[in-house]
Amino acid sequence: MRIAPPTLTRQNLVCAVALGLIFLSAPFPRLQLVLHAMLVIALAPRAGVPLMGALWALAAGWTMEGSLRLYPHLGGTPWADMSLALLAGWMAGRWPLEGLKGWLARLAALSLLHAILVHLAVRLATAPHPWGWGWFWVLLTTPLWGWAAWRLLHPGAGSGRR
Amino acid sequence: MALRAARWGWSRAGWQRLALVLLWLGHGAWVILGSKPGRHWTNVADVVSRPSQGLASRWAAWRTARRDAGRTLAETRAENVRLSAELAQLKTQAAQEAPRLAEADEAVRLLGLKRQIPLELKSARVIFSTRPATFGGLILDRGLDLGLLPDQGVIVPEGIVGRLWSVNATQSKVLPADAPNASVGVMLMRSRATGVLQGLGSGRALIRYVSNQEVVQVGEAVLTSGLDRVFSRGLLVGYVAEVAQGDLELRVIVNLAAPLDRVNTVLLLPPQPPLEVQPPFVPVDQKPQKKKGTP
Repeated sequence: MRIAPPTLTRQNLVCAVALGLIFLSAPFPRLQLVLHAMLVIALAPRAGVPLMGALWALAAGWTMEGSLRLYPHLGGTPWADMSLALLAGWMAGRWPLEGLKGWLARLAALSLLHAILVHLAVRLATAPHPWGWGWFWVLLTTPLWGWAAWRLLHPGAGSGRR
Repeated sequence: MALRAARWGWSRAGWQRLALVLLWLGHGAWVILGSKPGRHWTNVADVVSRPSQGLASRWAAWRTARRDAGRTLAETRAENVRLSAELAQLKTQAAQEAPRLAEADEAVRLLGLKRQIPLELKSARVIFSTRPATFGGLILDRGLDLGLLPDQGVIVPEGIVGRLWSVNATQSKVLPADAPNASVGVMLMRSRATGVLQGLGSGRALIRYVSNQEVVQVGEAVLTSGLDRVFSRGLLVGYVAEVAQGDLELRVIVNLAAPLDRVNTVLLLPPQPPLEVQPPFVPVDQKPQKKKGTP
């Protein structure tokens, strides 16, 4: 059974809230990373409306990089975010959601890909830099924020179990 | 096909795709250009301006070469100045050492003369000359301390100088052969005619007692005859400068060979030397012959 996509208004509203939380969670980098990944991977992508997802991903990336200090050259994270949002939107259209488990697995894979893309894009934009452990926290908390995103976008879908 | 392109280009989805592509490409370009996008433009500008840069570098190289050439000219001039100074210094040094060199040459020639004459010759140095004065002479630095005695003959490689006139403890005075009161027994080299040389001053002398019958040529060498027992026979005195017929004898003017005004070192003949002086016998070096059968 395919899960019906959320309304555009609801999704935009959720994305706006997530974007505000990213901005507000700047003093807490790990939390900010998780919210950032949540917005880019889970909330922004939408099948058939790539421009919207790309713009929300761009906003998330610029907000994320803009909240950092002493950054040599901005733009790497938004570019990676936009690319990944486009990929996630295409995946949402190509392989529609059928349950929470598949959703979480997709989010886990996309979170790893997101970490790699962001690192490479920032490396292109600036210089080689350490990987850090942000990807690990994002991957570790994938069930948590994945479930939250699932509940926010699809409140009537339940857990997806039949 | 044309319909599809028109729909892609003018539909709302097409505009969205175009905006999306431009957005993605713009961000990608922004990221790839990096933190110093100016360097890419600099590279492009470098490629574009390479011909003009080549011309400019050639122009700079030409100017550098011209400046180096000018510097080389300046260095050459400085080197010329330095060499000139060095040349002047060497000339001064040569002038300072010239007397010593002349004295050394004279010593060498004296040594050669000493080897040619098989007599016990003594050498002395001229320390003063009173020749410009009347009855002047040469003052030597040796006297009785060297065993000198009056009337010893004084010679130089060019010819005879005169005789010792007076000798004291450490110095002696030479009566030159051109002094008016000097006399030397001489003979003409070609005719072997003998006479007496009397000084006329200024390096000239007159030979007296040469018969009118003798044939004397200008330029003929005049040698000592040894009859005065001051000089041995055969020492060069000078060369005939003028020959004139007199009433009873020839008037023969001789230019003395020895430069009496420039004598620094002289050799002194022993008192009353032998009349004839044979050249030294120098035996030919013979290799010792090995006897047969000896190693």
